[in-house]
Amino acid sequence: MKAGIFICHCGHNIKHTVDVRRLSEYFKKIPGVEVAIDYAFVCSEPGQDIIKESIENKHLDRVVIASCTPSLHGDLFKDLLKKSGINPFYLRRVSIREHCSWVGDDIEANTEKAKRLILSGLYSASHYIPLEEKMVEVNKSALVIGGGVSGLNAALFLAKMGIKVYLVEREEELGGHVRLLNSVWPSKRSGREIVAEMVDELNRLANVDIYTNTTITNFEGFFGNYQVTLKKGEDEKKIIVGGVVVATGFVPFDPSIKPELHYNKDKRIVTTLDLEKGLETLEISKKPRVAILHCIGSRDETIGKSYCSRICCINAIKTAEALKEKYPESYIESFYMDVRAHPKGGEEYFESVQEKGVLFTRGNVAEIIPTDKSIIIRGEDTLLGEVYEKEFDLVVLSIGMSSPVENKALGQLLKISLDKDGFFLEAHIKLRPFDTAVKGIFIAGSCSGPKDAEESINHGKASALKLFGMLNLGYTFVDPFISYVDPKRCSGCRQCEEACIAKAIKFDEKLRIVKVEEAACMGCGLCNATCPSSAISLKGYFDSYISDEISGLLEIA
Amino acid sequence: MQGKKIDKEKLRVALNRFVEKQNQIVYGYGKNGIFITHKIYTDHVEDLSLFNPYFGINGATFFYRVFSKDIKVVMLLRPCEIRAMIELVKLNQIEPETITMISTDCPGTVSLKKAKADLPDDFLEIQKAAEKDDGGLRWACKFCREKRGVFGDAGIRVQEDGGMWIFPYTDKGSDFLNLIDEELVEYTGKFVILESMKTEPFVTDMDTFHKDFSKCILCKNCRDMCPVCYCVDCLFNGDEYLPKGDAFINKMLRTGTENLPYGKEIFHMIRMYHVSQTCVGCGACEEACPQDIPITKYFKGISERLQNLFSYMSGRDVKETIPYLTFKEDELKDTED
Amino acid sequence: MSDKTEREPEIVGFACSYCTFKASEMAGSLRMKYPEKVRVIQVPCSSRVDPAFVIKAIFEGADGVFVSGCHPGDCHFIKGNYYTRRKMAALKEMFKAFSMDGKVKLFWISAAEARRFIEKITNMYNELREEKNAGKKN
Repeated sequence: MKAGIFICHCGHNIKHTVDVRRLSEYFKKIPGVEVAIDYAFVCSEPGQDIIKESIENKHLDRVVIASCTPSLHGDLFKDLLKKSGINPFYLRRVSIREHCSWVGDDIEANTEKAKRLILSGLYSASHYIPLEEKMVEVNKSALVIGGGVSGLNAALFLAKMGIKVYLVEREEELGGHVRLLNSVWPSKRSGREIVAEMVDELNRLANVDIYTNTTITNFEGFFGNYQVTLKKGEDEKKIIVGGVVVATGFVPFDPSIKPELHYNKDKRIVTTLDLEKGLETLEISKKPRVAILHCIGSRDETIGKSYCSRICCINAIKTAEALKEKYPESYIESFYMDVRAHPKGGEEYFESVQEKGVLFTRGNVAEIIPTDKSIIIRGEDTLLGEVYEKEFDLVVLSIGMSSPVENKALGQLLKISLDKDGFFLEAHIKLRPFDTAVKGIFIAGSCSGPKDAEESINHGKASALKLFGMLNLGYTFVDPFISYVDPKRCSGCRQCEEACIAKAIKFDEKLRIVKVEEAACMGCGLCNATCPSSAISLKGYFDSYISDEISGLLEIA
Repeated sequence: MQGKKIDKEKLRVALNRFVEKQNQIVYGYGKNGIFITHKIYTDHVEDLSLFNPYFGINGATFFYRVFSKDIKVVMLLRPCEIRAMIELVKLNQIEPETITMISTDCPGTVSLKKAKADLPDDFLEIQKAAEKDDGGLRWACKFCREKRGVFGDAGIRVQEDGGMWIFPYTDKGSDFLNLIDEELVEYTGKFVILESMKTEPFVTDMDTFHKDFSKCILCKNCRDMCPVCYCVDCLFNGDEYLPKGDAFINKMLRTGTENLPYGKEIFHMIRMYHVSQTCVGCGACEEACPQDIPITKYFKGISERLQNLFSYMSGRDVKETIPYLTFKEDELKDTED
Repeated sequence: MSDKTEREPEIVGFACSYCTFKASEMAGSLRMKYPEKVRVIQVPCSSRVDPAFVIKAIFEGADGVFVSGCHPGDCHFIKGNYYTRRKMAALKEMFKAFSMDGKVKLFWISAAEARRFIEKITNMYNELREEKNAGKKN
């Protein structure tokens, strides 16, 4: 074995708590290690050049890169190995950032830990065998789940780029929640109008199939070839798509979950969404006293929603403005924790509405007491440190976003994870905000967390762009991590066959050993752990790899 | 329960009716010099010993990988041997279509390593001999979970007065019973062995384990003679868990190991886990151990604990699935920490 | 080593790529801290963890081993973690019989539960440290 070890400083991210120089000096002395280099940014172009030159000049046959976590830059380094002329599966990534430098403060202990981690990576890599990725064709078609603004924009983008699009919407009409909005801040145009434009444009494209009132009942396959069953009423239809954009959106928070808000019990207590239907339905005097309550269903630990819904502050301000315009003599007071008017122009808008005479009081409402004449509101003004008690004719609840309960079922069907709040989880919150852990499945819009219309549209387009990039290539490589049977060692006991979840193992009656159906194998490794003699093993995760990794971690260094 | 009352002679006649046909054999015990051992009868059954006071090898060990469907076999073995056979059937190492397995009530056995010669082959006499000389009974037999002949296709049970009955459990068993000149009648008497033995969950600690296994020379005889260690190539034949040569030197320098032979704890613990659901507690491992390590105590104790976890008993029924190969969604809620 | 020095337990963990390993990545990104002696090995699914690995780790010097996968019902490979649960239940029972409770643990940690990951491993670390240093202080 001629191994090269490349230790990344990641700027200061690794260097500041791991003595990288000591590591490279240490590994230079380990037998089998030809090169041990530490470098500021291994993923940068000069960094890649160092690896490439080392492989070519020193004839390396194992490359251990100690840097960030393996799920980042995976393809980059694999391609680099390919370009340098060695099998990409001779690459070993060791995470010394997410699993070492960032999680400990002690430089001695961290360096020791990094040493063990790299060592175990090296031992494991010493057993590596070359693997071959199978190239398969990719269907140039996409499934977009959800016809809200982000789904519509994802579908539009993909369709315009020539991808066959199947747009699936559970409701009867496209447009999601934006369709219900009276005016979409800051444009002052109605949501219905905005959505109609998008739908019209979509309808003009020939390569889009729109399925409304439709749900997904079955989903299997892999990137490039997902088999999906759609259900509309009693009819079922099977389609094959290359990739998926999930844009299932959100559900408005239901204030009746908190009985102390008296929502649904008193007509004078309404939500911001109710008012989007128009102010005409309100039965109030010309000089109404209106209280607007922020953070309903957001930043509230008592109902397990600690997140900020991001849209409700602007909605509250927008509602205050609309009321003030319709009832110039009204008294409007907004009760907030913090005003987060973060979108472009939001802060200025907040100022302008204050100038129009809307009062903003810092301090959440503690109690709402409906009486015959009025609604009494109590709370503490946290700026003045005083308790307030005021009477109002109308209370507007600025409600936040909740995740749809259906996300769980959809997540299980698509095998994508949810975060603690029930929204879909991104592969990396900053670096891969559109991707899920599953190749070819992207998330868009508020299904991955609260977003306003503009962000949702952008998110939809970005996810579509990323998916387009993968589909347009026309081919993909299938991970070679599938099971393999050593015919000489197999006893034919069929335990693996019995346990296999994908039913990918078949018994050969003649040879009395088992065989793996490669296309069906999912690569979980259950068979490997079930076989007492490990005659069946999972490529990429052989017993010897993991076994030596354990030894490396526990070695007296 | 319906069965047939038999005696040695009636059984001999029936077995001879079976064995006289071409390609049909009887597998049981017989006198071999001064001891009684496993024996194959190919054309005539004369001096079959139905009960065997000696234990050396588990009879199932000879029957790995039996796939010859044109030879019919009738087996008369102890419950632990039939249970091992049944586990091997589950593990696809035996095709049972042409094998009729008959378990016999077991009076307990003495170790062939230490036994006196010329012990009797009658059930009650063996029992009496064992009572007289308690130290003679093997540990595995003293704490045997199930000595009743209730496994396989048919079972031979012993009454308190020494009389014997045979009961069919499957169609194959009924077929064999048809060879016996006797009517099927409802049984109402009392057997010598009434119920299975209940033991306390096995508990030990690492110090005791180290002490007991310090004599181990890693000859792996225990594995080789274990009836349910069926792998054609054991995990421990390679360098991964038990390194040899350069791999060993490497490992020693890397880990600072001092104890030799290296890896015996890992070997026994992993093997213990591997056979945890299939171990029948026969004690063949201990018989095979040249160092007289009390292996069975550990393997039988652990496997019974682990089988109880899933209400499973190795060799009870060929239709039961080995617990590691299946699951219930709603179970083991307290496994998570 | 003198008897007075506090001895740190070494913990090896097996983490499923689709959940716990992601949670551990997230814990890193969020700069959460946990003891350096806890080290994680990535496996495609918790069902890949052969109990033999756990036994090997314990006998090669680990003071504790944890296996961690997705919550039951959420497995990326549909049902893998149910098999893991059976195997680990058996293995834990075996260690219990050897009076080594607490050395082997099974966790369910989803990709989003970085905090839970930290809590679980820190608790395990503290328990093992107490056990390892029991009787040393007085």
